[in-house]
Amino acid sequence: MRKELLKVENVTVRFGGLVAVNDFSLNVAQGTIHALIGPNGAGKSTTFNCISRFYQPTSGRIVFDDTDITHAPASEMARYGIARSFQNLELFNELTVLENVMIGAHVHCGGSLPDRLQAKPPAVMRHIEEVIERTGLGPYREHKARNLDFGHQKLLELARALAIRPRLLLLDEPAAGLRNREIASLDRLLTDLVRTDGLTVLIVEHVMQLVMSISDRVTVLNFGTKIAEGTPQEVRNDPAVIEAYLGKEAAHA
Amino acid sequence: MRILGLLAAMAGLIVLPLISSGYVVYLANLLLTFTVLCLGMHIVIGEAGQFSLAQAAFYGIGIYTSGLANTAFGWPLPLSVLASGLVAALVGLCIGTLALRMRDIYLALATFAFGEAMQWVFLSWTPVTGGPNGLRIPPASLLGFEIVNDRQAYPVVLAITILMIWATVVIARSRLGRAFRAVRESEVAALAMGVSVQTTKLAAFALSAFFAGVAGAMFAIYSTYIHPDSLGFQTTILVLTMVVVGGLGSFSGAIGGAIVFGLISELLRQAPSYQEIIYGLILIVFMMFAPRGLFAFIGDNLKRFARA
Repeated sequence: MRKELLKVENVTVRFGGLVAVNDFSLNVAQGTIHALIGPNGAGKSTTFNCISRFYQPTSGRIVFDDTDITHAPASEMARYGIARSFQNLELFNELTVLENVMIGAHVHCGGSLPDRLQAKPPAVMRHIEEVIERTGLGPYREHKARNLDFGHQKLLELARALAIRPRLLLLDEPAAGLRNREIASLDRLLTDLVRTDGLTVLIVEHVMQLVMSISDRVTVLNFGTKIAEGTPQEVRNDPAVIEAYLGKEAAHA
Repeated sequence: MRILGLLAAMAGLIVLPLISSGYVVYLANLLLTFTVLCLGMHIVIGEAGQFSLAQAAFYGIGIYTSGLANTAFGWPLPLSVLASGLVAALVGLCIGTLALRMRDIYLALATFAFGEAMQWVFLSWTPVTGGPNGLRIPPASLLGFEIVNDRQAYPVVLAITILMIWATVVIARSRLGRAFRAVRESEVAALAMGVSVQTTKLAAFALSAFFAGVAGAMFAIYSTYIHPDSLGFQTTILVLTMVVVGGLGSFSGAIGGAIVFGLISELLRQAPSYQEIIYGLILIVFMMFAPRGLFAFIGDNLKRFARA
């Protein structure tokens, strides 16, 4: 039995009168890829933002590695080893690829004053170079983030998150807008990160091709409520899921 | 090439007082002071992206602290320079804690209001600032040696400037410098990377106040008189224009802007009534046609010219 690295317990989020997420629970096992899917407006991103501490749940608990992080500030997440990417790209646009990734390693550049003053802390640089090579951004090291094409910008989001050296990686639609070839290499990279580096990934994604291929478990949300959970196979054949995505008739067909 | 240029500049700066008139040395001191002021504004606006418009107030705090340290306490020069920076930074920290809850135009307005309030304090706090009569600044002394003219002050002013330029470079390359730029580019992403956004903004604000305070102390070394009139919004705008002319966000631009625009403003002293109109026009023209500053503009056009 694998350890549950992340536990979301009965989380409810209300925006005024609107219930965006309703009594939602989720367990993510260490060393697995867990996908959170659902139609538009199902509450996926809201849940995602609660876990990364950008939103505050109205009630419920979020536990990471046996520590309650329900009230921890967002800026502490990197120190816990939780990294996130952003759905609508939040790169440091005017900075180079290298600098973007270096800021990802911010929490590892601390220590004594001389350490903090270092332009390229040797202890951190090796990991940074490794991340840049692994994400295929090597040739663009000195390019400004805003000058990269969309696919590489998405990769840079991922690279920057990896520089945190996370234990839990939260990815918000990493494949949205990517070409098939790019999705395939993202698939390989994520699988490799989990299998060889023991990373745990929670991914919100609409691209079913990727979700079905990489996920160990899939949770389906609709109207803020969990409607199904299981392996990709189980979820794919669940009538409630088919109904949520395609309508009632499709479910009975 | 770069090192040669740097050496040439150094050589020029060292022989300058030997070959030029007193006025030129005075001007050099003034330009070096503006350079440090510009570096301070570069840190808070250019690096951290926080629109602070209180530079003149911190400059004033530096001047008066330095004056007080000389007359009342008789502190040695290095100590009074440090004290000027620290007092300005401390005030900056207090103001920053309040003002940095706001952003963009609101932050600009809040810091502008603080600047105006400080000018009023300078005008009213007669025992320290001399009030509307202005303050005669006694000569500073270094190692028992009294600095009584521009020529004697110049090496000290130059040394402080070089120290502050060096500090700016070290800060920019450090973890804190990276955090500044992260906050400027995207606050949410900075948060997700574990950057404490509020603390980082505050650090930028206090550092920029420190620089302005040191610039004030530099002014007090070679100057004999200060009136609150020259510590108002006008001075802040002058520094802002220098940084924009040089190129916002560019470190060498901040220095170049201080020197080029400092010379222009000195020329404009012949026509004081048009001075502000001309500053305003230059600011607008640059924001419209050369938003990356004079040097980037020249560079781009040279490249285009070379290609044609």
